[in-house]
Amino acid sequence: MMLPTGRRFRPRARRRELGLLAVAAVTLLAGAFSLDATRRLSPVVIAGVEGTAGGPNVGAALGVYLAALVAAHFVLVAAGRRTDQILLPTVGLLGGISLLLMVRLPQGLAGGLGLGTTQLVWLVGSIAIITAVSALARNDAWLRRYKYTWAAFGIGLLLLTFILGREVNGQRLTLAIGPLAGQPSELLKVILVVFLAGYLSENRTLLVEQSTRLGPLHLPPLPYLAPMVAMWAIALSIVVIQRDLGAALLFFAVFLLLLYIATGRASFVVLGLMAFIAAGAVLYEVVPHVRTRVDIWIDPFASASGAGYQVVQALHAFGRGGILGTGLGAGLPAVGGLPPGGIPALHTDFPLAALGEELGLIGVLAILGLYLVVIERGLRIAASAADDFRAILAAGLSLVIGVQAFIIAAGNLKLIPLTGITLPFISYGGSSLLTNGLVVGLLIALSDRGAELPAPSPPARGLRGLLDRGAA
Amino acid sequence: MDGLVLSIWLLRLLFLALLYAFLWAVVRVLLRDLRAAAREPGSELGRLFVVASPGGEPAEGSAFSLDAVTTLGRDVNNTIVIDDEFASGTHAVLTFRGRTWYVEDLGSTNGTYLNGAAVDGIAPAAFGDELQLGNVRLRLERSRR
Repeated sequence: MMLPTGRRFRPRARRRELGLLAVAAVTLLAGAFSLDATRRLSPVVIAGVEGTAGGPNVGAALGVYLAALVAAHFVLVAAGRRTDQILLPTVGLLGGISLLLMVRLPQGLAGGLGLGTTQLVWLVGSIAIITAVSALARNDAWLRRYKYTWAAFGIGLLLLTFILGREVNGQRLTLAIGPLAGQPSELLKVILVVFLAGYLSENRTLLVEQSTRLGPLHLPPLPYLAPMVAMWAIALSIVVIQRDLGAALLFFAVFLLLLYIATGRASFVVLGLMAFIAAGAVLYEVVPHVRTRVDIWIDPFASASGAGYQVVQALHAFGRGGILGTGLGAGLPAVGGLPPGGIPALHTDFPLAALGEELGLIGVLAILGLYLVVIERGLRIAASAADDFRAILAAGLSLVIGVQAFIIAAGNLKLIPLTGITLPFISYGGSSLLTNGLVVGLLIALSDRGAELPAPSPPARGLRGLLDRGAA
Repeated sequence: MDGLVLSIWLLRLLFLALLYAFLWAVVRVLLRDLRAAAREPGSELGRLFVVASPGGEPAEGSAFSLDAVTTLGRDVNNTIVIDDEFASGTHAVLTFRGRTWYVEDLGSTNGTYLNGAAVDGIAPAAFGDELQLGNVRLRLERSRR
């Protein structure tokens, strides 16, 4: 890793991070031993699943992964910034659990290299992004100055997906340009947070001050909310057209949370929820896809061998796991319906159900606890940020991970209707791992209290300036 | 129960126990951080950081902890004394009202500027905004809890 030229090389020890990484490594090694021993003891379970063979050696994969984590730690030490030391080990443990899951699922799901190896490559890529962003991103002006540019870029990316995207399972989510393929809605969530942080921090005082009252409710001043609502509506409508309900739910929840964080007005949230309920009711009537999802949620057993199959199998998996679980490698995790009793799309949508079966209630609670740690850390970073932009950005980034984990975990558990979205750092998938790496890298960079604030931009001229002065 | 099955069972429980050991180690660090933050003076509503001050009073690079009402000017009775030839005796006042900060110009000769725009009467100020009184530039910052 290169250091910016002209800055003196001044490493700074990160003892907490090293200690926590050691605990995480020991935990993952114990998991690998447990997995390996179980597979040796009962090859029958594995033999029933076609294509299990050919996955990478558990020990070798874990070794490469842990080496990447340790390398990341030393690069951060060399960078010498006083930044957060908790996020890397926490996220590292989540990624390691993902690796323990992916190395023994049917490997044929992910093209040439196989599921386990591909996931290992993406995990190492994600750690590299965390390291690079948290070591090098010292100035945030490139984020806050160009919020409209970022927003336009995000919208363009989505429109491009809509026109050129490849269809997978009836959802047009994947954009392929040459050999590169990815899901832009993952990147869009980061762009949305950056835009909202820039816009809300700039207009926070006006949003708070000039609200119009409608009965007991405060309405936000419309001219100031219009660009934001437009941004939200465009993103949302495209996402609904693409049938990516999980992303739509995530965007809307993060939008409301950030609006509340910036203004402290509960009535904005109440309004948003009312709009959400109305939109939900309309979508239920109009879009068949939504109605199916809600009907499955209300009673999956009505169509247990049809539409509700996935959810029913997930519930059975949680049931088989009980409190302590069956042990790593002793569950029936299968993808594509193999063997009977397996869960389709386990590696992307239902990793929590597989972990619930193998680690039990205790294990699932620990994993949810790790996500809580990420949220707590992010909100602490937000609380100690020097200005509004950084505070809202840090809160938004940590909430993106937290809300996304909640949506898919609750979907797996039939707490809310299931929407296909990845479980951060555990689900299989390059787009998800790389963008979540970007999110965590930015959070670590934002936790640096010594980083300089950019000078405020001069008063706006032209149309923006007129708008600002006219309303002030 | 033979030894292999027993050891596998123990390994399983060991993995779960280690997951919680990690969580416990993290939570201990988090609690320590929270306690340290609670010990710091937490009542300040914001800080005023001195970006530029040619006259040396207030000193460049210093920061003031803000109360709900802070007056600024050349007169020694102000909360923050601005010793600058272009600052008036009672120049401006910063107030925190419930949710936001406000800057009010108290009829100063050379005016008060917020992010480079002249403050006409009273204006809301956000964290990160820059105030200018005479040649002195000050930045409003969030208190770091």
